Amino acid sequence: MSRAWHAPAGAFLLALVAGALAFRLDNYQAFVLGEVGITAIIGIGLNVLIGLSGQMSIGHVAFQAVGAYAVALVTSAFPGLFWPALVLGTLLAAVIGGLLALPAVRLSGPYLAMITIAAAFVIEHAIIAWKELTGGASGIANVAEMPLPWPYQGGASAQALAAVILGIASALFAAYAWFRASPTGLALVAVRGSETAAASIGLDPVRLKCLAFAISAGLAGLAGGLFAPLAGFISPETFPLSASILYVLAVMMGGAGATLGPLYGALVVVVLPELLAGLAEYRLLFVGGLLLIVLLIAPDGIAGTLERTWRLWRPARARHLSAPPLDLAAFLGHQAAPPPGAPALEAMGLGIAFGGLRAVENLAFAAAARAVTALIGPNGAGKSTALNLLSGFYRADSGSIRLAGSVVGDPAARHLARSGLARGFQTVLLFDALSAAENVLVALHRQGARRPGAAELAVQLLRCVGFEGDPTAPAAGLAQRERRQVEIARALALRPRVLLLDEPAAGLTVAERTPLGTLIRSIAAAGVAVVLVEHDLKLVMGLSDHVVVLDQGRVIAQGSPEAVRANPTVRAAYLGTAATSAAARHPAVATGAETMLNVVGLSAGYGGASVVRDVSFEVRAGEMLAILGANGAGKSTLLSAIVGLKRPQTGVVELAGATLSGLSAAAIAARGLVLVPEGRQVFPELSVLDNLRLGAFARRAWPEGAELEAVFERFPRLRERARQRAGLLSGGEQQMLAIARGLLARPRVLLLDEPSLGLAPQVAERLFADLAQLAAEGLTMVLVDQMASLALAVADRGIVLENGRIVRAGQAAALAADSALASAYLGGAAPGSAALVL
Amino acid sequence: MLLGASIVSGLAIGAMYGLLALGYHVTWVVSRSVNFAQGSVMMLGAVLAFSLTVGFGWPMPAALPVALAGCAAFGVVLERVAVRPFRVRGSDSWLMATVAAGMLLENAALFLFGKEPRGMPSSLAAEPLTVFGVGVLPLQIVILVAGVGLALIFVAVTRGTPYGKALLAVVQNPRAAQLMGIDAARVTVFAYALSSALAGLAGILIAPLYSVSADMGFVFGIKGFAAAILGGLENPWGVVLAGLLLGLAEALTTAFAGSAATVMASFGLVILALYLRPHGLFGRAGVRKV
Amino acid sequence: MSRFLPRLATVAALLALPAAAGAAEPIPVGLVAALSGQSAVSGEAITRGLTVAIDEINAAGGVLGRPLVLVRRDDESNPGKGVAAARELIYRDHVAAFFGGIDTPVSIALVPLANKEKTPFMGVWAAGTGITRNGASPNFVFRVSAVDALVDERLLRYAATVAKARHPGLMLINNPWGESNHKGLDAAAKAAGLSLAGAESFEVGDADMIPQLTRLKGAGADAIILVGNAAPAAVVIRSLDRMGWSVPVISHWGISGGRFPELAGPSAEKVAFVQTYSFFKSGPKGEQVLAALEKAYPAIKGPQDVIAPVGTANAYDAMHLLALAIAKAGSTDGPAIQAALEALPPYDGLIKRYAPAFTATNHDALGADDYIMVHFASGRIVPVE
Repeated sequence: MSRAWHAPAGAFLLALVAGALAFRLDNYQAFVLGEVGITAIIGIGLNVLIGLSGQMSIGHVAFQAVGAYAVALVTSAFPGLFWPALVLGTLLAAVIGGLLALPAVRLSGPYLAMITIAAAFVIEHAIIAWKELTGGASGIANVAEMPLPWPYQGGASAQALAAVILGIASALFAAYAWFRASPTGLALVAVRGSETAAASIGLDPVRLKCLAFAISAGLAGLAGGLFAPLAGFISPETFPLSASILYVLAVMMGGAGATLGPLYGALVVVVLPELLAGLAEYRLLFVGGLLLIVLLIAPDGIAGTLERTWRLWRPARARHLSAPPLDLAAFLGHQAAPPPGAPALEAMGLGIAFGGLRAVENLAFAAAARAVTALIGPNGAGKSTALNLLSGFYRADSGSIRLAGSVVGDPAARHLARSGLARGFQTVLLFDALSAAENVLVALHRQGARRPGAAELAVQLLRCVGFEGDPTAPAAGLAQRERRQVEIARALALRPRVLLLDEPAAGLTVAERTPLGTLIRSIAAAGVAVVLVEHDLKLVMGLSDHVVVLDQGRVIAQGSPEAVRANPTVRAAYLGTAATSAAARHPAVATGAETMLNVVGLSAGYGGASVVRDVSFEVRAGEMLAILGANGAGKSTLLSAIVGLKRPQTGVVELAGATLSGLSAAAIAARGLVLVPEGRQVFPELSVLDNLRLGAFARRAWPEGAELEAVFERFPRLRERARQRAGLLSGGEQQMLAIARGLLARPRVLLLDEPSLGLAPQVAERLFADLAQLAAEGLTMVLVDQMASLALAVADRGIVLENGRIVRAGQAAALAADSALASAYLGGAAPGSAALVL
Repeated sequence: MLLGASIVSGLAIGAMYGLLALGYHVTWVVSRSVNFAQGSVMMLGAVLAFSLTVGFGWPMPAALPVALAGCAAFGVVLERVAVRPFRVRGSDSWLMATVAAGMLLENAALFLFGKEPRGMPSSLAAEPLTVFGVGVLPLQIVILVAGVGLALIFVAVTRGTPYGKALLAVVQNPRAAQLMGIDAARVTVFAYALSSALAGLAGILIAPLYSVSADMGFVFGIKGFAAAILGGLENPWGVVLAGLLLGLAEALTTAFAGSAATVMASFGLVILALYLRPHGLFGRAGVRKV
Repeated sequence: MSRFLPRLATVAALLALPAAAGAAEPIPVGLVAALSGQSAVSGEAITRGLTVAIDEINAAGGVLGRPLVLVRRDDESNPGKGVAAARELIYRDHVAAFFGGIDTPVSIALVPLANKEKTPFMGVWAAGTGITRNGASPNFVFRVSAVDALVDERLLRYAATVAKARHPGLMLINNPWGESNHKGLDAAAKAAGLSLAGAESFEVGDADMIPQLTRLKGAGADAIILVGNAAPAAVVIRSLDRMGWSVPVISHWGISGGRFPELAGPSAEKVAFVQTYSFFKSGPKGEQVLAALEKAYPAIKGPQDVIAPVGTANAYDAMHLLALAIAKAGSTDGPAIQAALEALPPYDGLIKRYAPAFTATNHDALGADDYIMVHFASGRIVPVE
């Protein structure tokens, strides 16, 4: 971009100032400055590793040793060959680092830390053991002096050495700034941000992480090679493991990822101990304490703190880069035209099972170019799984994928991405450490776009998908709509033949959905085969050319939107059939019964945004309340806020008259307000029996015999499976387990979040019969379920949420007869949709 | 003779590594974090026990629980100051923060305890017994029994008691665990206290065989961590077995290849094992879902 | 970028802070030693010896009418840090001379600096042969301590004559000190016509040395030459006990701290070791210094509490010798002090009568005749017969 000259100019200035300074310092000061430079060089390397690729090494001192020994050994034999020796040491360290990274990149966290520590030990002891070459533990004295790159009388003084080292460090700072913005640098940041999204644009995380490791090891080797002549003497004790920790510290204190972070860090970790030298023994105590404090109060380091302070003083101005409009069809151009006759994407009998549950079975459909194909179905039908199969994130047990007429040989995500298949994710996956434009740029680079043009193209693509914000703003701070737009732009940057979108309307307001629909149509019109998974059926029906309906992992219908909407099987899958709710509603609770649960003015959400807005309702003892609403209406968030999993932004929850404000989720559960969460949240490694017993943990009981027997009476399947690990149960069984576990808490109020999710209709009906039974026994319940007709059949009252607000409340029977409810679910306001009214 | 002696030595030292590794395991399974100051806490246990028994003349049975309680208290403070603030931020900086805490503890001990290594008397380390023709101190047997026994107890508790199950539940599904009334924060604090007490116990047990000094924990801390990683942090049996394996590998390398190769062989083993099994010898990969 | 420049200027200003200048103009002398970490004990012992000597000198009016002041810098046992520390002492604190610590690599790294900057460097512990015999002329490096090459000869001579050993086995700490003695012992064995049964190394953290010892035993070792500090050396002794192997153990001076019997148990008394000085060996000067130590460091209640006595004794004598040289030179100028050190008058020190301490060709104040073989007996160090 236009600031490209900043880095080299800054580096030149830095080198000039440092060089001039070095010659004005005394010998000791120059030596310390030289050490600052050396620590900064290692820090720049570690910044590539920690700051860009997000890996950790506590063994880099070993690479420093490799570089130092290479230089010391070569120059002791050939004193004139300092510079070649320096290059050799750098390369040697890089190669060793790259080899070590092969296993290391498959590891994470403490495993990775351990392998770097182990490598440091092995290298240190190899140096000690290889006495003949390295001089063993006694080290190498009288390392040859560094020949200066300029004519200078009387050998290299400490001042001259420091000037050279700082010159190299300055150049490396510029190189870092350049690398950070280069395709590879952006790709590294991308991989750190989300390996999943990185794979979706065809990046290879293993190769990139190895590269980062090799670069950082190489720079440590370079620093070691420069250190040898500065110190004049090296031995294994010169490179203790604690120095590695200090280097990591320098990077973290300076601010990981920031270009100048290692400089600030090096100044702190080198100069500060020197300033404190008079404290002698107390020094490490001081340094340790300081480290802890810095980590606590300045998590993004000195660079981050400076940046924030600077921003307080002079806030960032949003920049609205203008770019000429992009002709999308021309951009996609040559690739988008499919061979005649073949659909762009074909799923041929795809199937996958998770732990005995067949999530998707024999999925077969075709998506044509220039058309929008929608995958719909109730929650748990297998839509997202299907999308993950098509994009290579899950490996199918059976079946194959055909792209533009030919079968894909290796359907791994990044290969598919390279073959013209792009996708978006249900929860938008952006590379949060990159700007909006850089997110797009990473993908553009995959297409080999040249740099100068690419930056403008990225902005054009963003504008093309309707992004109106600042393209240089960090992706982490974007609003949901903008995030979605950036994700789509990133996918388009791959010039895909096929674009898969997973619930692109999720989290968008109703007003925001119309432009999204227009955008999707325009993408299709540009020649792309768009495959869409979406809950907002109103959007889907208006948008799609072809609709594929999934239920229980199988295709139950496909065809035009009109045909699908009229299909009775589809209706049953979505709404359940009122006729099957055999459960008799229990007698209505007498008015005047005690209020068990009282929710007043509750708002909750993520970050600053509210997902639930000012919701109030009450549930009386023995009553069952159904909370209804489309996906994304805020039902689950509401339940989370009630039970304390999510701290409410405003509002109060009372249980039997006592406020629950400020209590932890655990404490609230212990008081008898128990949530059975959405999505079968069992403890997978524990047995079914233990899962059940933990249900009673809230009341500090450990049920045996009769009490468990009662549960098994109600859920006989669980008795058969009692000794199995819960993770091995089928989805339906896990759901039963979660409910049974909730019951064992002997709750005063039981909240159920989507208990019928993913259950076969018969199972769901059994479940609702059980719920009705529980209600009849006097249990107070709040039920959230997408099977609206079933829920209303067993509940006493209902409330309907839309965009986080209660839009309707009333007796269950009255709500069930309300046609507006069906439209909230199926989006079917079109003529002829009367058939959908319950 | 050489083989027998090496195996006995290796098992005794390995049990020590195993005890420390168990400490890493405990915090890992409930909080996905480990205490890199574990070695320093081990030193704290030994220093406290030494000060109480030799300095104040307490009998060991009285000093032991107090020293362990001291370590546990340190663990609680550490969790508050150097682990929780970072975990709630979703940051990995607990790694460096616990390193810093270890540095603080070690240097504080240099002043309060002194720089000089001290010898811890123990009646269990006076007269060797002869086992299979090899001299073994009763204390070495105690260490082995303590290492394996504690792993056993830990497995029994986590597999067989409500609180143990609750401990495991927190890792498997923190959200659901909270809904069962399990206070995840308290469980984590408890894990840190327990882990620190285990480290302290290791320090107290090794002290009579070795010596008590401010820096005694550094090497043990790293080797205990190596054992934990080698075994796979997830598995209580695995980490103790890996500790024994590491101890045996060291003793056998020293005996048959010479001491110059020991460190290279034992840490080389760790690298090799991780190359072949990235989640440790006895660990297993979690399921990745998109 | 622009934010960076003021920052650098600030640091430069910090670096350039002038050293505090006083009216009485004390003469600064430096110490570069391990003050933290595993070898912190050694730094402490040296500090004590230097401090007691400086207190005596200052109480008697100082040198050249100026008091001496000790400036200490931690080398963390790291040669790189040691060089930085020495540079600071030379360029910022303008020390007249500086003392070294226990670590031979650190001292080796300081030798070129001392000679280049013409600042006398006095070793008081590190015994590496090449420290004083460094080939420089003029040579600014002096030492009041043992020399490994000579100690090694002495240890083997004792093994051969007293312990009647033909195949001594070596147990060496795995660090430069152990390595230096490995070389020395190899050479000495060759000279003495002994064949070594083998050489094994141990780490500071090793808690069990049976595997190494069993190897030596299998190789036919009939004596153990031990090089290591008190804590790991004690583990060697305990491991021998457990093996039930009763073999003569002859040790370098690493075990000389009073705590060795506490660490190693009753078998500690069987170990013969070399010593330059023992506070148990009473003499008027020794009692005077011990009294001064007890006064300055209340933790010391007798000779058994003097940690690492060789460091303290060597440092004490070295400080007095340096003070003499400064007085003789009549200035704090490096070359003048160097010349004075090479031509000191005889001096009655704590360890011995130096007559004289150094010559132009010999910069080691202590020689093979100054080593005594001792052992622990009921908590005291006594000469072996």
